[in-house]
Amino acid sequence: MKNADRDYSQKGRPGRGVFWFAAALAVAAAFATPANAEDAKTLATTVCVACHGDDGNSAIPMFPKIAGLQETYIIKQLKEFISGQRKSDVMAPIVANLKPEDLAPLATHFSSQKPKAGDARDAALVETGKNFYLDGNEDTGVPACVGCHQPQAVGHTVYPRLAGQHPEYLVQQLKNFASGDRSNDVSRYMRVIAKRMTEQEMKAVAEYIASLGAK
Amino acid sequence: MTRLLNVIIVLLIWPMSASAQLLAVADDSGTPVWNEMRGEKLIALKAKGDPLRGEISFEPCQGCHRAGAVGRTSGSYPRLAGQHATVLIKQMTDIRAGRRNNPKMDPFIGDHAISAMEIADIAAYISALPIPDANGKGPGTSLARGKELYVKDCVTCHGDKGEGKSEKFYPMVAAQHYRYLLREVQFIRDGDRRNSNPDMVKVIKSYTDTDMEAVADYMSQLAPPKQ
Repeated sequence: MKNADRDYSQKGRPGRGVFWFAAALAVAAAFATPANAEDAKTLATTVCVACHGDDGNSAIPMFPKIAGLQETYIIKQLKEFISGQRKSDVMAPIVANLKPEDLAPLATHFSSQKPKAGDARDAALVETGKNFYLDGNEDTGVPACVGCHQPQAVGHTVYPRLAGQHPEYLVQQLKNFASGDRSNDVSRYMRVIAKRMTEQEMKAVAEYIASLGAK
Repeated sequence: MTRLLNVIIVLLIWPMSASAQLLAVADDSGTPVWNEMRGEKLIALKAKGDPLRGEISFEPCQGCHRAGAVGRTSGSYPRLAGQHATVLIKQMTDIRAGRRNNPKMDPFIGDHAISAMEIADIAAYISALPIPDANGKGPGTSLARGKELYVKDCVTCHGDKGEGKSEKFYPMVAAQHYRYLLREVQFIRDGDRRNSNPDMVKVIKSYTDTDMEAVADYMSQLAPPKQ
């Protein structure tokens, strides 16, 4: 009964905006130069592969899985790595070699890769994290993650897909948001939210998110 | 020369902006401001909100107010579904102007996050949502006393079914979560909700804690008004 108000099924019509957006993207894609897709694949399999894996499913906990992320989200991150708005000693020298026309095809490439299931290990922590993901923390004013990142952490519009992400990476990003080291979030939301979270909450919710995704 | 001029201008303007800030602070912590019709409140009220855009803008709000704006039965976050658009606009613009304290919500409703137009859109979306039955209800132990108080003091503004009055900015109170009602009634009585209607503050000034529990209990048991 406590969680009767958790029901997201009644929300209905979650994808209408996304549908039109996707339709617009499809039209845009039809006009894109086909050569770019090949360039993107070359870049992906020669440069990105070292950390993110050739299909975007990084096997290294500190590097994020990027397979299946929304195209717009990937483009935004790449642009902000380039501009320095998102700081990363690892990504900065790599993106410095990217041409502006590489970004969209790279995003299309990784976005269309099939995301692999995550590697959650602690079932009890997954359960705690699930409650946090669905309820947030009423006492400290942490909104539930599900509001933006959606059930099963599939993401929506500007809010990235998180399902199956490495827990180590997720915790690191939450800490970066909390400290302000990462500051390219929408409307400062994640900085506020992460600042209100305890380390234990970060670990739990990351473990839950890692448990999601296709098996 | 230009630089010198700039410095002079800044020095001239500084005290002006500082005193403007002081004024704003005094305004925020002083006597209650019920409902001045100006600024972005007026803009949002006059704008034609679009529920489809509002649905998208409402996404971050769902983290607390839940999908469908049903709130939390614990009362930590109010139910907003079906609330009058005017009331929603008043409260949203009041909170972000500092006329109603809400530290949990502040960072999500600031003008860095949403525009006055989005406030109108969100209000249009939420006000048209269905009001579900399952709300957080009071213990049901002092409903007779609750009804007596409600009929005597509340019914003129909030209506006999708790439906409120859109054009007067009086909120619908029926089927709201009990704990939320209780908390806000207390804030209003004690002067902690500074955008309250002064008439209401006067009316409930003499309420005891038991009176507030009874009237909140009664309101929480009222069925959702027909939409």
